Amino acid sequence: MDLLDLFLQQLINGLSLGSLYALIAVGYTVVYGIVQLINFAHGEIFMIGAFGAYATWMLMGQPTDWNAPMSILVLLPVLIIGGVAASVTVALLTERYAYRPLRNAPRLAPLISAIGVSVFLQEAVRLFYGEIPGFPTAKSAIPFPSIPGISGSAFQFGGVTVQMTAVFTVGALAVCTVFLWFFVNRTKTGRAMIATSQDPDTARLMGINVDKVIMAAFAVGAALAAIAGVAHGLRYSNIDFRMGFLAGLKAFTAAVLGGIGNINGAVVGGLVLGVVEAMATTFIPGQFGSAAWKDVWAFVLLILVLVFRPQGLLGAKVVDRA
Amino acid sequence: MRAIISDETKVRLRYPARAVGILGAVLMIASIMMPWAYGHEALDDMGFYGAPSPLQVFFVILPVIVLLLLAAPLVGKPRLGKFARALAWNTSAKTASIAATATVAVALIDIAIELEGLVNVEVGGWLALVGGIVAIAATLFLPDSPEPTLDRMKSPNWLQILAIVVLMGMLLFTAAFALSLDKAGQFLMFAAFLVGVVLVLRQVGVFAWLGLAAANNNRVLVLSAFIVAFAFPFTQNGSDANMSIASQVLIFAAAALGLNIVVGLVGLLDLGYIAFLGAGAFTAAVLSDSAFATVNFKPPFIITVLIAGVVSSLLGLLIGAPTLRVSGDYLAIVTLAFGEIFRITMNNLDGTDGPNLTNGPNGIPGIPDLNIFGYDLGAVHDILGIEIGRFANYYWLMLIVIAVIIVVFMNLNYSRIGRGWVAIREDELAAEAMGVNAFALKLLAFAGGAFLAGVAGSVKAHMDTSVTPDQYVFLESAFLLAAVVLGGMGTVMGVLIGATILKLLPEKLRFFSDYRLLVFGLLMVFMMRFRPEGIIADERRQLEFHAEDEELAEELEEELITHHGHLNPERKGFDL
Repeated sequence: MDLLDLFLQQLINGLSLGSLYALIAVGYTVVYGIVQLINFAHGEIFMIGAFGAYATWMLMGQPTDWNAPMSILVLLPVLIIGGVAASVTVALLTERYAYRPLRNAPRLAPLISAIGVSVFLQEAVRLFYGEIPGFPTAKSAIPFPSIPGISGSAFQFGGVTVQMTAVFTVGALAVCTVFLWFFVNRTKTGRAMIATSQDPDTARLMGINVDKVIMAAFAVGAALAAIAGVAHGLRYSNIDFRMGFLAGLKAFTAAVLGGIGNINGAVVGGLVLGVVEAMATTFIPGQFGSAAWKDVWAFVLLILVLVFRPQGLLGAKVVDRA
Repeated sequence: MRAIISDETKVRLRYPARAVGILGAVLMIASIMMPWAYGHEALDDMGFYGAPSPLQVFFVILPVIVLLLLAAPLVGKPRLGKFARALAWNTSAKTASIAATATVAVALIDIAIELEGLVNVEVGGWLALVGGIVAIAATLFLPDSPEPTLDRMKSPNWLQILAIVVLMGMLLFTAAFALSLDKAGQFLMFAAFLVGVVLVLRQVGVFAWLGLAAANNNRVLVLSAFIVAFAFPFTQNGSDANMSIASQVLIFAAAALGLNIVVGLVGLLDLGYIAFLGAGAFTAAVLSDSAFATVNFKPPFIITVLIAGVVSSLLGLLIGAPTLRVSGDYLAIVTLAFGEIFRITMNNLDGTDGPNLTNGPNGIPGIPDLNIFGYDLGAVHDILGIEIGRFANYYWLMLIVIAVIIVVFMNLNYSRIGRGWVAIREDELAAEAMGVNAFALKLLAFAGGAFLAGVAGSVKAHMDTSVTPDQYVFLESAFLLAAVVLGGMGTVMGVLIGATILKLLPEKLRFFSDYRLLVFGLLMVFMMRFRPEGIIADERRQLEFHAEDEELAEELEEELITHHGHLNPERKGFDL
């Protein structure tokens, strides 16, 4: 394999990984833009999306013999809807009971509360998912249902192998970005979100229901995270209760990279982070280029960005508003 | 609650209510002379007539308090003198009745679970429960007492010192007794009793008075606390099991105190703090005499401790210097990322993915015991006829480390640096405008906190005899943070209590271990919502978390003047 092919291959890998990060990162950025809260539990919302999709599959009677078009056109959308429903519900509940009461508290309080929520959600899934009759225990990884036509399929493009799961992830990000752009810029709720993020008090004076806007922000973030959860399940063909921690951390890195509070920034940041990670494992020579170090490089990137461009790649806002 | 029984009714019924309440207390006291359970397996065997078990004897303290609080006012106001208004007699009696009933309830539930069925509760248990309910019901009909004013009363200095010494002695006895309870049910009943006693004492105003006494005799307090802590191994009769837990608690507490500087004083949220403990532990491990140590330099432990501290604080500077400028929430995530970098790096430095420094996931086992000035910490020593085991030795070593940390912390807290830190926490911009060098001070806190963790880590390496990367995961950082938050950010006492609770409860409540993290997560959320300042509140912190509460502000202002008047003796009449 020549160097160009290797580069293209890693670019494709990086873009698909980055799309996953970007989908989750949007949730961090939207919520941060409006309430200045790092929703530490967002990684767990992503995990709940994957488990919600799995639960939907179980409730459908574990269909395994559907043909490819049916699976892609019917089964996959149903799984996604199930996952979205689960994570949006949980996100709204956490917002209502863990964050809303702390809205005027010092900054440390909601962040610590969010850590508590994160640990609680992980443990709740670990302990109680298997208690639902007929469900497998979530104490170890659960194999995610495969979608014929996506799972395990790939095609050759020149010297580059493209997994169908990668196509799905990148496609999902593309579709979501378009919808998100439309939602934010062309709907009443979306404009209310922009107004609230610019100045919550004035927005309230203009008749915007700030509580509803914040709920909408959490819901949008959770929906995209759930889609990422399904994509993650298809890509790695299993899910487990811990998957939200690292993915959440990476996605937050992506959000900071792009400029937190900036939706386009989250998408760009996610893609950049994915590509950097993929390239680092290939092009860093010697022992430090092995796959074991890829997370380290991602976090080093985060620290470098904070040193040299704290407002992020696309951000123009002042970072510290505390 | 207040509206259910009108004040007129309360005043009219106060004598019958008092009588009924005394009856309830007497019933509870009598109950310990009767068996509580059919069968001898539950709790500490409450199956005999006329021979109360130790837990029953402890329990009876609460109804006796109820009895005293209800009966003493009968001698009439004049005879009580200044105490008539100083203690919140009625309200305290209510609190004590509720605490006693709750303790009985825990005991009965445990009997029902252990002996399979409530039928196994015997007459004494039911009598205690009925007595408790009667007492609660009766005290509900007593008029509410005014706030206790015990702390406003003048008391001689010898009494204050005596009280501190007695309190410390009781603390030692309680700790030894609590640790000797190895069944979860026993421990829970004793914990319920303890919480009850603490609540009653607080209600009576004893704690406010003790706080004043402690502030007046700070040296006595600190000294007696250390003597008590030092004496603790002698209560264990050579058993090392509890000392192992106690020394783990101390290591955890030392790290939590270091984190307390960063989070509690300066207000920087560090989510990767365990990495500093790990850095210290790994440094000590690679410099130790272990056969697996990878560095061929074996300094004496005194030097190793310093190197471990310095390595940790260098890491602190490395991570702090670039990120402390952006501050705020970013810092939390950067430190979290740093914690992950540390763990992954320690995993990878195994010779295949990187140079061999830590043996990767296997870590460094076989770290030998310490030998300080000829005192072998691994051996069993015989002191005053009591065997002092390996963990007791490490317990003492950690006690010294903690003592140093506390002294440093207290002095910093009231120094120019400490006040600068608090100023940064409250309002960084204003602090900078007042000439506080915020960046340098934050960096100092970060490096200093890391140094303390590194020192604690170096002892931990020798105590655990092995160091592996998976001991230093994010969850441990979250636990440290929880200890600080639970106990009370910015306070020494609170953090010690928080660390003890978080380490001791899982050890004593093994049946519960699977749900430990679940409860831990919920606890963090509930603490933030209902008592963000922690069990022991730092006064400044409390105001910060309840900024809109005017009443609290005035109350604290008054308290600050009465309690800390000694700090500014020449400014007696100063008004805020």
